[in-house]
Amino acid sequence: MTASPSLVDLRGITKTFLGVAANDDIDFDVRAGEVHALLGENGAGKSTLMNVLCGLYRPDRGQIFLSGQETAFRTPRDAIAAGIGMVHQHFMLIPVQTVWENMILGQDGFGFVLSKKAICRRIGELADQYGLHVDPEVPVWQLSVGEQQRVAILRMLFSEAKVLILDEPTAVLTPQEARQLFATLRRMREEGHGVVFISHKLDEVAEISDRVTILRKGRKINTVRTSGVGPEELAEMMIGSRVVPAVNKRAAVTGETVFRAQELSVLNDKDLPALEGLSLELRRGEILGLAGVDGNGQTELCEALVGLRRLQSGRIFFNEREMTGASVRDFLGDDIRYIPADRRGTGLVPTMNLRENYVLRHYWREAFRKGPFMNWEAVAGQTGRVTERFDVVTPSLGVPVRMLSGGNLQKLMLARELDGNPRVVVAMQPTWGLDVGATAFVRERLLEAREKGAAVLLVSEDLEELLALSDRLAVIHKGRIMGLLEDPRRATEETLGLMMAGRPLTSPKEGD
Amino acid sequence: MKKGLLLSLVIAFAVCFAGSAQAFEAVAPEDLKVGWVYIGPVGDGGWTYMHDKGRVAMEEAFPGVTSSIVESVPEGPDSARVMETFVRNGAKVIFATSFGYMDFVQDVAKKYPDTIFLHCSGFKRAENVGTYFGRMYQARYLSGLVAGSMTKNNVIGFVAAHPIPEVIRGINAFTLGARKVNPDVKVKVVWLFSWFDPGKEKEAAKALIDAGADVIGMHADTGSAPQAAEEAGVYVVGYNNDMSKYAPTKHLTAPIWDWGAYYKYTIGKVIDGTWESDDIWWGLKEGFVDLAPFADDVPQDVRDLVAAERARIVDGQWDVFHGPVKNQKGEVVVPEGTAMTDADMLSMNWFVEGVEGEMPK
Amino acid sequence: MALRVEKRFDVPRWMDWGLPLISFALALAVGALLLGLLGVSPLKAYGEMIRGSLGDGYGISETIVKAIPIALCGLAVALAFTMVVWNIGAEGQLVAGALAATAAVRFFPLESPFLMIPLMVLVAAAAGGLWAAFAGWLKARWSVNEIITTLMMNYIAILGLEYFVYGPWRDPMSLGFPLTPTFHDAARLPQLFGTRVHYGLFLALLVAFLLRTALRWSRWGYEIRVIGQNPRAAAYAGMATSHHIVLTLFLSGAIAGLAGMGEVAGLQGRLQPGFSVGYGFTAIIVAWLARLNPFAILVVSFFMGALLVGGDTLQVVMRLPLSSVQVLQGLILFFVLAGEFFRNYKVCLRRREDA
Repeated sequence: MTASPSLVDLRGITKTFLGVAANDDIDFDVRAGEVHALLGENGAGKSTLMNVLCGLYRPDRGQIFLSGQETAFRTPRDAIAAGIGMVHQHFMLIPVQTVWENMILGQDGFGFVLSKKAICRRIGELADQYGLHVDPEVPVWQLSVGEQQRVAILRMLFSEAKVLILDEPTAVLTPQEARQLFATLRRMREEGHGVVFISHKLDEVAEISDRVTILRKGRKINTVRTSGVGPEELAEMMIGSRVVPAVNKRAAVTGETVFRAQELSVLNDKDLPALEGLSLELRRGEILGLAGVDGNGQTELCEALVGLRRLQSGRIFFNEREMTGASVRDFLGDDIRYIPADRRGTGLVPTMNLRENYVLRHYWREAFRKGPFMNWEAVAGQTGRVTERFDVVTPSLGVPVRMLSGGNLQKLMLARELDGNPRVVVAMQPTWGLDVGATAFVRERLLEAREKGAAVLLVSEDLEELLALSDRLAVIHKGRIMGLLEDPRRATEETLGLMMAGRPLTSPKEGD
Repeated sequence: MKKGLLLSLVIAFAVCFAGSAQAFEAVAPEDLKVGWVYIGPVGDGGWTYMHDKGRVAMEEAFPGVTSSIVESVPEGPDSARVMETFVRNGAKVIFATSFGYMDFVQDVAKKYPDTIFLHCSGFKRAENVGTYFGRMYQARYLSGLVAGSMTKNNVIGFVAAHPIPEVIRGINAFTLGARKVNPDVKVKVVWLFSWFDPGKEKEAAKALIDAGADVIGMHADTGSAPQAAEEAGVYVVGYNNDMSKYAPTKHLTAPIWDWGAYYKYTIGKVIDGTWESDDIWWGLKEGFVDLAPFADDVPQDVRDLVAAERARIVDGQWDVFHGPVKNQKGEVVVPEGTAMTDADMLSMNWFVEGVEGEMPK
Repeated sequence: MALRVEKRFDVPRWMDWGLPLISFALALAVGALLLGLLGVSPLKAYGEMIRGSLGDGYGISETIVKAIPIALCGLAVALAFTMVVWNIGAEGQLVAGALAATAAVRFFPLESPFLMIPLMVLVAAAAGGLWAAFAGWLKARWSVNEIITTLMMNYIAILGLEYFVYGPWRDPMSLGFPLTPTFHDAARLPQLFGTRVHYGLFLALLVAFLLRTALRWSRWGYEIRVIGQNPRAAAYAGMATSHHIVLTLFLSGAIAGLAGMGEVAGLQGRLQPGFSVGYGFTAIIVAWLARLNPFAILVVSFFMGALLVGGDTLQVVMRLPLSSVQVLQGLILFFVLAGEFFRNYKVCLRRREDA
């Protein structure tokens, strides 16, 4: 295939936020008549790069060429004028206005008198051309999410965008809607548009794209023809090479099954299925690793396991006692602990001090109350003890925790969740964003909990970490377990890559 | 007659006059400070505006007298503070110009027996508290004659502030006037539940015009209803003062106040040292109420009729609520040959025949 | 060069008290300019304002009278705001409380003030509380936005008040004027030292103290603070957010209801329309200026009361029109609120990196 000319060409783009390079010297181009996928994990720099392309950010360094001509976008309007349109995850439509009114929003080139008829006719033509059918007279709020996305795409086509950027467009769609979207994208390709498809879902990238550029930690790993690579290779490029770091880990003294989830089905926040009949068992004194590309139901699984998310169906047992439908407090009462990935948003109250954050999950316990009052003395004492044991560095226990560094925040949360005698620990991305020292500290504590007999579920995107810590390793894809490896150390890259791309493990006891 | 006014109520409410009435010593105009408590802003173009015109007339008549005002005082505990602030800053006479101040006037007056309080439209008096009001219903009756003559649809709209006797009496007098010249007239009433709310007043007028009214009457404090009438091209009868500037071509006339007459009279008595607690209820005869100049559209025969009726009232041979007067159900309330007492007029809470509207119950 | 606004990560301590003072001084300076333009000596005007509101026992007492309902409503909304529930309906809850207190006097006129007043306190709190709790229930059950419901319920309460005073509760002796009969003596809140400062003052102080204690020391207070500052963390901690929304709004409304009872039983001795001059709305500003701190609310309410009382003196003595007094009051509030902005953000000059 001879390369068609580039519609837009980014060269050497570098963009730094607070000293962290979100994009580091990235080249990226979009050609007419192609779907170019941009693949990477959360935080890999995909959105930053696209925000540069659509004029929202200005790069610290690097150049943008439009059909070979160097240019600079000052505002998104400039980019739109140059034929570059982005469909954000939030569609940026005005809900109370109708579809056709949304089309002309913020666009130039209309006379003072609007011809609604002409606008609606144009909408009709575009809809036929690209299979984006929607009634122009309906207010946007009455439309489904999928229809709203169609309106957002139509709006870009209406403003005659040649390059369309779609930011994780399938995240909000049902499978049927996603199929329709793909049909539309193929039409656009035929019409000579350049489409940028941002995703971290390997199968979608494989299905729709012609080329794929992989980003990892702000750097470009490669740009390849999609037909030339398999999903497992893509997964590997996205996640990185695996070097098993040395962790001082004693042999597992695995005991009986203490925690059992049977056939769990739950919905995500958008009411789409996140888990579909997932089953899992945790044993005493083991770490079960859970690998998978982010967004495949990990958060929903963790929340379901600790009582934070309602089950559509399925059952949960702790020591053969049924916990299905039990409250968060019931799970806590049985010392089933949870370390959420979202420290500031869920795990801690940033504006409150260390004492108040330590006691967040224990405040109802007898030890910390005096009738209807809190026993803040007891809280302070215990907070002092655990923060010392968990090496939390802070000027005092009275400062708001938003003043603490990420590592210290995580240590504080560990101190809280691992304090006492945890029986089950669900830990999600516990080392994400931490420096080397803090990472090592967190890993040691998890191993320590395991040695004390806790059953630990470790959810991570970091394969190195999973391979180093896990006694068993499962892979999740689209809300299902693709397979369970009894000895992760003997797993091959291919096996893991395949499972993460959605191919179930064929031999049930690989590695045995 | 004025002295005997509301005898029963005086017994029921007023603080007893023990022995002879207290005499207030004469004061030099230079030493006299007078305070006015206003319910709305002076710029309302209506009620408060007219009081303030009266105040200015008093100042001109008695050079040397100092007067000050507080605008937009709510009819609640705040009014007591305002009055007390006047007293504490040397005011000797205080005019409280809205009904809702009544209890608070009593409270403050009890505390300061040497200060004279005059409460507009109320019914509680004391040795140092007098009340004053005007027989606005007389002027309203005359304006009703004009409205009744000018309507073609026989539907007159009325924008009314609060369902209290003062307003009800006015609507009734207006209706009696309109039906005297045109017995088919219906008067539709819309309540505002506010004295001062330009937006609501305008909306109410528009609603009445939409409902078929081709003349608008009003009892509210601003010129908003006349504006709405002018915009819609229907006639309007203003209130408080000549509102023709709000409706230059459609303002038929307006029942208006001349508070200056009373304020000059009272301040004169205070200066002379002859003031005693009294209850003033003046009317057309004393010039307390009157009609604003007619619009050009008002024909001569209507003007003549108004003049004749005015003469009958001024010389005392007839008044508006002389029998027969029927209520909304058509029952005779005031029989032929009798006149309604002032006490009954002051507590009027029913509509005469021809009014379309309900008393909020 | 370009101006940039950045959020502060760390608020210097001096700003807590320093900023309001600076803002206040700036407001006075700008106000002085305006007064000068009106041909009035600013010093004399400010002097009169202070003399009228704080200059003697009477001024102070009236300032306190004004501050009582503002403080109670301020505490009411502050409680809801602590949980980040926007109770904009303190005005309606105040009216509901006043209506209930009046109903108690009308239907259960007890002879002893030691029974009558507690009964009025109880029913006023219950009525205000239920009025607010209904909005809370709608929010908890159906996620109905409480800003809308509490705001709209203000108007329902005020119209309800008009219905009763114009209709069934109208005093037959009032000549058809919208007033309820006066309360009997046992139903009047005592006033202190011959001033109009009534026992509502003690209610305000008590509520402030209880609120402070509860928010800081009780488990309930801890829970609602967590819910307010991070609802996801509250769910993670197993807190029953829905339950707290209803309960907290009930308590919030109950406090506002007490303010209504104080106004009718402490000052008016009867119910008449328009008895509240928007205390429930003033309270929102007060709660914010006090940063939701109950004791600070008492102080700010007093300041607010002084501003309003002093305004009368300006009209009486300086013969200034009401509008100029309102401009002056508005200036002070504007500057103090603007000062809050600088507490949370800093403005810095920055060179543009490119041409």
